[in-house]
Amino acid sequence: MTVTDALDTAVSAPFFLRGELLEGQSAVHRSRDLGVDFTTPALALDRVVHPRTEVPPLLNVPLDEIIDFLVETGERIRDPRNIFVQECIELMTATHVLPSAVLHEQVMGAAAYLDKRLLHTVVEQNFPDPRALDEWVPKQDFTGRKSFVRAFAPRLIHVLPGNSPGVAVKSIAQGAMVKAINLFKMSSSDPFTTVAILRTMAEIDPNHAIVKSMSAVYWRGGDDTVERVLYRPQYFDKIVAWGGGDAINNVIKYLGPGFQLVSFDPKTSISMVGKEAFASEDALDAAAELAAGDVMVLNQEACVASRFLYVEANESDADRFCERLHARIVAKAAASGDTRPLDRDLREEIDSLMMLDDEFGVWGSTDGKGLVIRSEEPVDFHPINKTANVVRVDSLDDAVRYVNVATQTVGFSPAERMPEYRDRLASGGAQRIVRLGDAGPSTIGNPHDAMYPLHRFVHWMAHEDGVASPAGA
Amino acid sequence: VSTATDQLTNLVDAPDRFDHSAAELRQTQLAALNERFGERRDSIKLLGHRAREAGVTEIGSMAGVVPLLFPHTAYKSYPESFLTEERWDRLTKWLGTISPHPISPLSAADISGVDDWIDQLQARGHYVSCSSGTTGKSALLIASDRDMAWSRKDTVNVFTWGSGVKPEQDRRIFGLAPVASVPKNTVVAEAQLAAFGDPTKERFRLPIPPITVGSLTAMVVLRKKIADGTALPDELAAFDRTSAQRQVAVDDAMIAAAEALIEHREEKLYLAGLWNALYQVAGMVRDRGYSGKDFHPDNCLYVGGGLKRAQLPPDYQQFVHQTFNIPADRDFQNYSMQELNSGMPKCQRGDRYHVPPWVVPFVLDEGGDTLLPHESGEIEGRAAFFDLSLDGRWGGIITGDKISLDIAPCACGAPSPSIRNNIVRYADLQGDDKIGCAGTVDAYVRGLS
Repeated sequence: MTVTDALDTAVSAPFFLRGELLEGQSAVHRSRDLGVDFTTPALALDRVVHPRTEVPPLLNVPLDEIIDFLVETGERIRDPRNIFVQECIELMTATHVLPSAVLHEQVMGAAAYLDKRLLHTVVEQNFPDPRALDEWVPKQDFTGRKSFVRAFAPRLIHVLPGNSPGVAVKSIAQGAMVKAINLFKMSSSDPFTTVAILRTMAEIDPNHAIVKSMSAVYWRGGDDTVERVLYRPQYFDKIVAWGGGDAINNVIKYLGPGFQLVSFDPKTSISMVGKEAFASEDALDAAAELAAGDVMVLNQEACVASRFLYVEANESDADRFCERLHARIVAKAAASGDTRPLDRDLREEIDSLMMLDDEFGVWGSTDGKGLVIRSEEPVDFHPINKTANVVRVDSLDDAVRYVNVATQTVGFSPAERMPEYRDRLASGGAQRIVRLGDAGPSTIGNPHDAMYPLHRFVHWMAHEDGVASPAGA
Repeated sequence: VSTATDQLTNLVDAPDRFDHSAAELRQTQLAALNERFGERRDSIKLLGHRAREAGVTEIGSMAGVVPLLFPHTAYKSYPESFLTEERWDRLTKWLGTISPHPISPLSAADISGVDDWIDQLQARGHYVSCSSGTTGKSALLIASDRDMAWSRKDTVNVFTWGSGVKPEQDRRIFGLAPVASVPKNTVVAEAQLAAFGDPTKERFRLPIPPITVGSLTAMVVLRKKIADGTALPDELAAFDRTSAQRQVAVDDAMIAAAEALIEHREEKLYLAGLWNALYQVAGMVRDRGYSGKDFHPDNCLYVGGGLKRAQLPPDYQQFVHQTFNIPADRDFQNYSMQELNSGMPKCQRGDRYHVPPWVVPFVLDEGGDTLLPHESGEIEGRAAFFDLSLDGRWGGIITGDKISLDIAPCACGAPSPSIRNNIVRYADLQGDDKIGCAGTVDAYVRGLS
């Protein structure tokens, strides 16, 4: 397709460069998920870096003021008259796999992150002494040596994921709270949300230091002509990247002294359902409902969404669980209006298991309306798009070996048995254990991806100040 | 009575087999597709399932075949643990869901490994070839005695038509590709040798142990163990050592090949290989001071497969041709794949791959769901084929390739449908720009691809 052909049908995705909107149709890009084209302006490379001879604009803006600005941003995102957000959701519907109601809920839910108490809590959980963000904090060790320490404002590139528009809101807030100079590299499945939020911020005060610290642009991930140029310690301290495989391999090439990676890794979440779920019909219904909720987080596009459910049961009980789980996944899928068909390759794999019906149980079909597969060990493929794999185990002890370095959340039932398992789950690589049905929410400010991210974002700077004169001298 | 399928497959030796246009063949092909469907819907379990799901009871049009075509991934849809945990009875059962011919149960206890499993199936008339998947699962393709016999005939016909070389048993054969020893490759190599090789001259083979399916799947098994976290460091180190030793052996074998080529440079040669190996050995021959002028002017080259993602300079084909003095009108190329049983040779004048009458080509949308309208000229899209010659599995396959198919006569004069020489894999077309927080343990396995 030529540029002129594409312009007739493509949607336009402007850039945001440190307070200024940049529109243009110099380049045509493709959104892989739906095969829709979008156009962007040419990338002005000089405008996305901030010279090291100038201190970051947010450095001496008090954290309280930053949080107030973010809170107002949140209010404006939720305001139904916000034209930027409305437009953004409409545009995204054209390029995103999720239906518009789910996307709307996502953006609104993300705006709820911009809450004063919440943001303060996040900072307090990430930093033993949050004053270090605002000032040089005096210290003295037991030998009498004195110093000041500052959580200095870093220069960050955020490589944003495409599966959850809410991440854009969070990344902006986190980048602002550590007072960073931020360059957001948007994803082809969502080249709109970040800019819509930044435009909302610019409307509050186009000259505010927050707005002057933020840029959002698109280039095709892995495009050497851009990444070779930009990914350097002279321009940025850290690259905050989501994902794995090619997305991370492209980034890794450029890492070196002074240019570090903070990675949010691709994760698989699972559930463990103990035999207590089969104590009564009610208990079974309750467990199936909670499990279905965990499977269907963001219609199973999110990393916290459960994909493999280890069930402590004999085969006939496991099948009773599968049947109920299936009914609830189907109901949730229907309620969200999401009827995307399964990928061809996934359909092939599942059809094959249906042929081997003496070993596998399958509830539903590959029509994208919800599907459950029962097996004796996890299936080879990645269950996605409303697909759950129930793995029957004699004991949850047998399920622990399936926890690996890619495991994120383990939804567990019953809650009383969680302490018995959490050490082994952590040792296997898992990062969160939650009550079944509770995969989505987390305690404010808790670690993510086995770290406190804000603490890693900043450039920790020490100012050594000699030795205090001995007491009484 | 002669069926429509027979009418088409009987053309296998016809010198004018590429003289039939798509329009001329359509009705016979449609009838043949219906025959095939009728014969196989109850015997191939997966086909029956597909037909029931799509509500297809009869094929009324070419578009009606599309829901019944199998994606190429269908042949790698077996649960991998059947292979890695050596559950041969289960793997045999899976094979039974795609085979029209019943497979009598094998006793798993008597099978010592995947190569033995393949041998035992072969003894029962089931030929399992395996594609060397670059990562993860290999496709397991089952075929019958009839398919093997067809391949023997077809491969010689394809080479003769595409290269102009007559099967006169007057050449010394050089096998220069380290290829997997699977039944399909073996049959093709034997047939080529019998047709073109001088029986008094020994065939050159790379002096390396055969690459068995077992050695290919060892990597798959190890990869699974790494992902599961059960592979120990010493096991990885041993695997790396074995790989390094194999590489040394292959490199040494290439040197031996270059020296043998130089030794026999004045004889009429037939070189068979993959571009990567051919390019490598050509470089060695040049380094030793020999080139086109030193070789026989009537040499020929049989190339199988594409580049397989090898990085070669743009003029690699020319470099190979010139090194071995291959005449310009002998530029043989063949478009085919493990999933098909027949080849599509490239013509010299039109630079296009020609589709024989017993292979029905389909151009689908990129997603592979819909047949694109095609009344005249050339259209572009995802390639699918129905190979009516296939007996041991279903003939309909949706490929991963993007092709341009023309139903107008080719510049070479042949009226058959033809495919432009610009085939690409969809997978290679776009860099993967999509990232998300949800992902699999595959991203955590390094160094095995």
